[in-house]
Amino acid sequence: MKRQLTTLAALCCLLTAAAQEPAGAGSTPKSADEATVSGSIQSDMLVPQNDKAIGATKDGNFNTNTYIDVLMQSRYVDAGGRFEYKEHPLPGYANYPETGFKGTGLPNFWLKGKLGNNELTVGTFYEQFGSGFILRAYEERSLGIDNSLLGARLVVRPFRGVTVKALTGWQRHYWTWDGGQVSGADLEIGLEQWIRPLRDHDWRLSIGASWVNKRETGDSVFTNTLRSQMLNLPKYVNAWDVRVNLNKGPWGVLLEYAQKTQDPSADNYFVYKKGSAALLSGSYSKRGLSVLLQAKRSENMAFRSRRLQTGNALFINHLPAFTLDHTYALAALYPYATQLADGEWAYQAEVGYTFKRRTWLGGRYGMNVKVNYSYVRSIDDDGVEYPYGATGYKSKFFKWGDATYYQDLNVQLSRRFTRGFKLNLMYMNQRYNQLVVERHGGMIHSNIFVADGLFQLAPKTQLRCELQYLQTKQDLGDWVYGLLELSLAPHWMLTVSDMWNCGNTATEALPTYNNENTHHHYYQGFVTYSVGSHRIQAGYGRTRAGYNCSGGVCRYVPATKGFTLSYNYNF
Amino acid sequence: MKAKIFLIGLVGLALSACSHVDEADRIIELPKKDFRAADDVFDQRGNVIAVARQVLLEDFTGQKCVNCPRATETIEELHEIYGDHLVPVSIHGGDFGFHGTATNIGLATDTGDAYCEHWKVTYQPVGTINRHGLENFEQWSAVMEDEAAKTTPLQMAAEATLSGDNISITVTTDCLDGTYSGKLQVWVLEDGIVAMQSQPDGSVNREYVHNHVLRAAVNGTWGDDYTASKGDSRSHSFTQAVPSSWDRQKLSVVAFVYNDKGVEQVVKTTVK
Repeated sequence: MKRQLTTLAALCCLLTAAAQEPAGAGSTPKSADEATVSGSIQSDMLVPQNDKAIGATKDGNFNTNTYIDVLMQSRYVDAGGRFEYKEHPLPGYANYPETGFKGTGLPNFWLKGKLGNNELTVGTFYEQFGSGFILRAYEERSLGIDNSLLGARLVVRPFRGVTVKALTGWQRHYWTWDGGQVSGADLEIGLEQWIRPLRDHDWRLSIGASWVNKRETGDSVFTNTLRSQMLNLPKYVNAWDVRVNLNKGPWGVLLEYAQKTQDPSADNYFVYKKGSAALLSGSYSKRGLSVLLQAKRSENMAFRSRRLQTGNALFINHLPAFTLDHTYALAALYPYATQLADGEWAYQAEVGYTFKRRTWLGGRYGMNVKVNYSYVRSIDDDGVEYPYGATGYKSKFFKWGDATYYQDLNVQLSRRFTRGFKLNLMYMNQRYNQLVVERHGGMIHSNIFVADGLFQLAPKTQLRCELQYLQTKQDLGDWVYGLLELSLAPHWMLTVSDMWNCGNTATEALPTYNNENTHHHYYQGFVTYSVGSHRIQAGYGRTRAGYNCSGGVCRYVPATKGFTLSYNYNF
Repeated sequence: MKAKIFLIGLVGLALSACSHVDEADRIIELPKKDFRAADDVFDQRGNVIAVARQVLLEDFTGQKCVNCPRATETIEELHEIYGDHLVPVSIHGGDFGFHGTATNIGLATDTGDAYCEHWKVTYQPVGTINRHGLENFEQWSAVMEDEAAKTTPLQMAAEATLSGDNISITVTTDCLDGTYSGKLQVWVLEDGIVAMQSQPDGSVNREYVHNHVLRAAVNGTWGDDYTASKGDSRSHSFTQAVPSSWDRQKLSVVAFVYNDKGVEQVVKTTVK
């Protein structure tokens, strides 16, 4: 372990030193032709300990996920790469079926040529068409996701307001590129650039269309254990997407529809059903008031470059989540994961209003109120379990299915009472279908209360206090959470917190399984030091087993205990 | 320009055509293959140097796991094909495992939890065949076919008899060729346990019959060291206490030899 740490430290120092000079030069370019170098280092480390009470079992004596990004930019050429050290990854990242996560190397590297408004990228790249219904290559480190494409991408802007993209490549699957070939094209036209009356009346109207093709051969799928029948799998899967986006002043409307051809896969139990996704989003935003109304319907839209893949890897597309990603610990205890394969009807409404200063409700400093409601429900389904090779269920577009997947009504108030005290309050009412999201349990209905106070103790000293309570009769029962965070500007921050499962385990949903003592304390303490663009955080504590979600995509995190160290540096 | 548009349209049409498979064309019938265990391998003098390899399927399962009964169905189907060449073991543990209460039988054990931890099992059902990494139960038949066709230079046999409250176990190993270094592991299984099991529709079946459930690791979680060279013939004895909660009529013993490359040979015998 000592050797690994030494190697890692030496590498970080080397890259930091190597980056110092170009970074300085880059910050004040002497001419347009000068190259600049920038980048970042992110290293999260854990010295784990066993803790039988919470089920934490250490995997080795040291775990780290370390990333070093370097980007060189010049007038005509950009180049970059990312080094990753994940030989002994943090707990949960390399669990089945993501066992390929483990490794060390340079999985991302690219060269981009730029001429006028056009650019050609060779190597690895990220891209998104529209809302991502049929293509979204992106990185989300907290989930261990990097589905970048290795190949070539061309972006041209032949006319004002017109952008054409074309790409082809193979998706990164941790340390291999073993999925099918993904190719696609996207056209986006800003019509206000072509239609003068739109411009004159301040309308912005853009239309877009995309197409993605997956070419996949190789894997065989048998319809029975006897292996006497196999599926004739489509060599190509095509997907297309059209969208219209209209904006005028504070108003905005987005309408998008996508469809996918037959794509039998492990996600949909190898049925030959077509997939589709539709989205309608309307927004209004003016000083002091914002409104968002959204509806989305998706059906059989899990689209991967390898049909046998499970877990989080090799997704070509991504459906935007219509549920709020909560940051408060107990509000995030039961996060929703988008049901790509099963499909869903999802709705979201949000109203934000700022009560003006020096009014009865606004007080001396004003008050922000935000109400958010999201509801996700199954789509119409005949309930039949179809065999491999079947066309699959039929579903009426506007008809709901029987199951509620998720519901979240939350109200947030934010008000400064004095110069030295600001208070945020939140109430959340949640329904979480654990059976659908986690494949066990039942419906969990919870009420969550959060109070978050910020005290300005001195010009450079702040104390933030959080108190949260989650009440539920299902699953593990009630939880309470407290946090104290002392900021000593500009360098130091001290944080202590504890999350305690104070309630009684499952009294309603599955009383038969009510056996375990889960009244554990999940305590944590951190010291953070920041200077310039360096940030280092050291800590010790327990982490509860559960799901970490971002944008409707989740990763299971096992229980952990131990010393943590995080280092971030941007140059 | 018109020609280019026509060409692009043609390519698009061709790709679309390749992406659709009519209902009548989706299933490809394959010649029926009956399983036949691999033949013994002989050297030039006519001595047996390798025998058919039996296959250990470790099914990481749990009573709270709604899809686990599907994996059990797959095991039953595989057993119909491979008979005793397949040695399935249901290892209850992990997040979906249930340790039981005063009134409800739980089949998860600390040993099962340790195996789930070791294999980093975060969702179930999932299994490993001859310890060649985790596989979804949909993939078991493919891996099973490959493993069942292999031979091994290790020949094993086992006997288990119940005397009083103990099982006396004897495992014999014969190394027919080469050398081997690994571990010898002995487990006790129980069939026909009636206990709760979550079902795919989310309900709980209280009368579910659980078979080949791992009850105990006789010689520790990871077994005893085992090394052998050609010609080595050994006998290993073990004793396992039988708690009153086990049905003595439905016990069996599984013994296997493994190392980092996987399971080399496995044998199963009923407790008499």
